[in-house]
Amino acid sequence: MERHLLPSEIDLLLDGDVGFGTSPLKTHVRKCPSCRAEVEDARATVKALEHLPHLAPSPLFAERVLSRVSIFVPWHVAVLDTLRGFVPSTRRGRIAFGVAGGSLAAVMSVLVLWIAMRFDAVLFAAGILADRVRLAILDAAGTLLAGALGDSAYTIVRTSGLFGLAVLTLALIAAALLAASLLRTVAVHRRR
Amino acid sequence: MPTVLDLANLPDADVVALAQQGREPAYRELLRRYERPVFSLIFRMVRDRETAEDLAQETFIKVLNHIDRYRPEFKLSSWLFKIANNVAIDHLRRRTVDTISIDGSPHAATRAEIEATSFDVESRGESALEEVESRELGSAIERAIARLRPEYRSCIMLRHVEGRSYEEIAAMLDLPLGTVKTYIHRARKELREALEHLRT
Repeated sequence: MERHLLPSEIDLLLDGDVGFGTSPLKTHVRKCPSCRAEVEDARATVKALEHLPHLAPSPLFAERVLSRVSIFVPWHVAVLDTLRGFVPSTRRGRIAFGVAGGSLAAVMSVLVLWIAMRFDAVLFAAGILADRVRLAILDAAGTLLAGALGDSAYTIVRTSGLFGLAVLTLALIAAALLAASLLRTVAVHRRR
Repeated sequence: MPTVLDLANLPDADVVALAQQGREPAYRELLRRYERPVFSLIFRMVRDRETAEDLAQETFIKVLNHIDRYRPEFKLSSWLFKIANNVAIDHLRRRTVDTISIDGSPHAATRAEIEATSFDVESRGESALEEVESRELGSAIERAIARLRPEYRSCIMLRHVEGRSYEEIAAMLDLPLGTVKTYIHRARKELREALEHLRT
């Protein structure tokens, strides 16, 4: 290579490019003092740049940033975290937790299997239970009604069936609305 | 959840994945890793500590508040530097700024103000003489960088301070590869000319 290096060729050497392209350039630099001085000069500048330190922001920088960042926890992570909260931290505790959990799961599995094998009996028992609950609720409602409106009103509602119950419900709602409206009027007057 | 010590050893993508799960220590780790590089880039662009802190803060808030949008096929650092560069360039477009030296703002009137605006340079264990020399060169090169056009400044710093490739810089700054090469070439040339007096 008979000529001096072009600026772009000096850049190639600065960037440490390798291969056939840079090999004649390197040979030329070894022979030519002028180009060698150019490359060394450029290298010194690059070295100075590469030695520039990272500058530090003020010590409270991170805290200031975090105070303005909304950290969002996805629901599935929140659920997992909650579940993890129940798991003991010690090894012994975790083993005990595992044994208890396993036993409970085994008992539940056996119970489910037993229920599945006796489904008709379960349905029969559920029917009886539902009847008892319904009767208990009706008894409680009847007692409440008789206590609030008197035995005669209770008898009327009971004999008129669903229609009577609907009329009574509407009357109660109307009474509640009327009472609320009256209370509001009183409150407004007092504020004035 | 890894401990703080473990977090320091994880690659960026893993730390981001933890941040996406709402883990605050992961957010802190990302800040610890990048607060200095991002702040340095912005500071050398805007040449004012207070403004640089505000802009660096803006950069991190933008990135961390949208961390769920991060895609692991890209480098987190590239995303951060891209936003940092954009906020700095936007700021420079909005107002003209003065240059300051490594020893503090020229507007600093008192010792406290000089200290407040001077660079916090980490010691690299140099001897006293080397420290003086490198401080002198550092100061001169900082002044020379300050005189570059902002576009040259960001390119040259990403290339030589952050060690990014031309392709990465082009992607970060949304510039054609040829433009990045030209900017870096011109920046090097201007810097060499500005530092010539130190070598003679």
